[in-house]
Amino acid sequence: MIGSLGSYLKLAATYVRFNFRAQLEYRGAFFSQVASMFINDGAWVVFWLLFFKRFPVLHGWSLTDVIALWAILTAGFGLAYGIMGNAIQLAGCIAQGEIDAWLLQPRAVLPHLLLGRSAPSAWGDALFGYIVYLGFVRPDWQRMAAFILLSLAVGVAFIGFGVLAGSLSFFLGNAGALADQWRNTLISFSTYPPTLFQGAVKILLYTVIPAGFVSYLPVETLRSMSHIYALLSIGGALCLLGAGAGAFYMGLRRYESGNLVSMKG
Amino acid sequence: MKIPRLNNALKYAWIGYTAARSELTYRAANVSRILFLATVLFVFMRLWSVVYAGLGTEQLGGLTQTQMLWYLVATESILMSMGRLWYEVDQDVRTGALAVQLVRPLSYAGTHFGRSMGERTVRFTINIAVGSVIAMLLTGPIAFSISGLAMFILVLPMAFVLDFLGALLVGLCAFWLESTQGIALIYSRLMMLLGGLLLPLDVYPESVQPFLRALPFAAILHAPGRMLVSPSASLFFQCLALQAVCLAVYGAGAFALHTYALRRLFVNGG
Repeated sequence: MIGSLGSYLKLAATYVRFNFRAQLEYRGAFFSQVASMFINDGAWVVFWLLFFKRFPVLHGWSLTDVIALWAILTAGFGLAYGIMGNAIQLAGCIAQGEIDAWLLQPRAVLPHLLLGRSAPSAWGDALFGYIVYLGFVRPDWQRMAAFILLSLAVGVAFIGFGVLAGSLSFFLGNAGALADQWRNTLISFSTYPPTLFQGAVKILLYTVIPAGFVSYLPVETLRSMSHIYALLSIGGALCLLGAGAGAFYMGLRRYESGNLVSMKG
Repeated sequence: MKIPRLNNALKYAWIGYTAARSELTYRAANVSRILFLATVLFVFMRLWSVVYAGLGTEQLGGLTQTQMLWYLVATESILMSMGRLWYEVDQDVRTGALAVQLVRPLSYAGTHFGRSMGERTVRFTINIAVGSVIAMLLTGPIAFSISGLAMFILVLPMAFVLDFLGALLVGLCAFWLESTQGIALIYSRLMMLLGGLLLPLDVYPESVQPFLRALPFAAILHAPGRMLVSPSASLFFQCLALQAVCLAVYGAGAFALHTYALRRLFVNGG
């Protein structure tokens, strides 16, 4: 099993290298997208700086906590879609019958498919997350180590969620708009302190809209360095990945080829 | 008797009308936008509820909590009604479709303007109607006056025109850049942050408020938003004056860039 995992990690590294080289063919476009995403995320941090300057405490959350929340979210999101960019377009790929090519590859379909593309702007998110955490929060080495581990867990959660949302296309036809909407809702809730939400909404945020696993629990872990929260974060991320993979392979049985003729470089 | 200018205007109005009808057929996209609007309004309602309760105050920046949510309804409805015009222009330049459009007896910018206004009218109407229902459910009504609503409706068209010109300027950058996606993203974030969507301009530090109020972003978002929740004749005339100045600057910029860009156009046949 470890050998198989190692083999897939090598495959992932090769794909990342190839995708980078492909993106660097359009160097200007690549760097402008990375820079603009960095600035985009920065605009939100400026918003929170202004907000906390005027209203210093938000239900026990300080500016540092909110910046840590943005850092972990963007780092995880960036890693997920920088490495496995097809997770963001899965619904469209399925609806248009574009996964035929991946079915012929001598590997498991899902990892191969997900690794096939990288979202350039996602690298801007990843860069932003790490730089902002180091620059604003100034963590000690234990917190930095926890941040790196948790950003990977958040990345896994985003991939699991992306696959789950994208797999709706197997069952509902073209679910691209629905998947986008679901992801936008997740991101909207994930970027605000969880103390804003109470009651039934809180239950939703750990189930249907799993913001709890992509930002709230990881940030609580960083705030308290609690092992329980860390385990819940990682466990939640793995559950999301399992749910996504389960939905994908269940749906794959219903997949019909689009008979699409295309070249794949 | 034929009146050429009227005929021209009717052509673009017809393009707008067909775009509006077309927009109505994309029900899934409309539902998706409504759901996103509802999510954003709910999150902001919670955020501002906590702030108002925490400070124990009735008003912030001259707005009550109810007015704050209605202000967000107005500004979000304006922002979310804009399509991806910059992307369409970018693609026209990149794929060469622009050359095909130029041989038609229609202005390229005018065609996009008509289409953009048609789509936007439908989207804005849906957004403001649904947003109003959500605001009524979440915080209740605010006191509207006929004159206030009239002033709000009068400043909207100019706000849409300014937003159109901003997006056209971004899209035309495709003549020089490999991708305009980055610049479009930054432009939209500047709009949200400096236009008073994320924080009404009245909540910003007083030292930066005069600067922010003089920007075109304020003429597109903040001024119409304030007009809906706390209208006044002085605000109305200030808004119109700012919009007129911004229109002159944006219009001159778009005209110059459009003219200069077309000189760089190469058609390679095919």
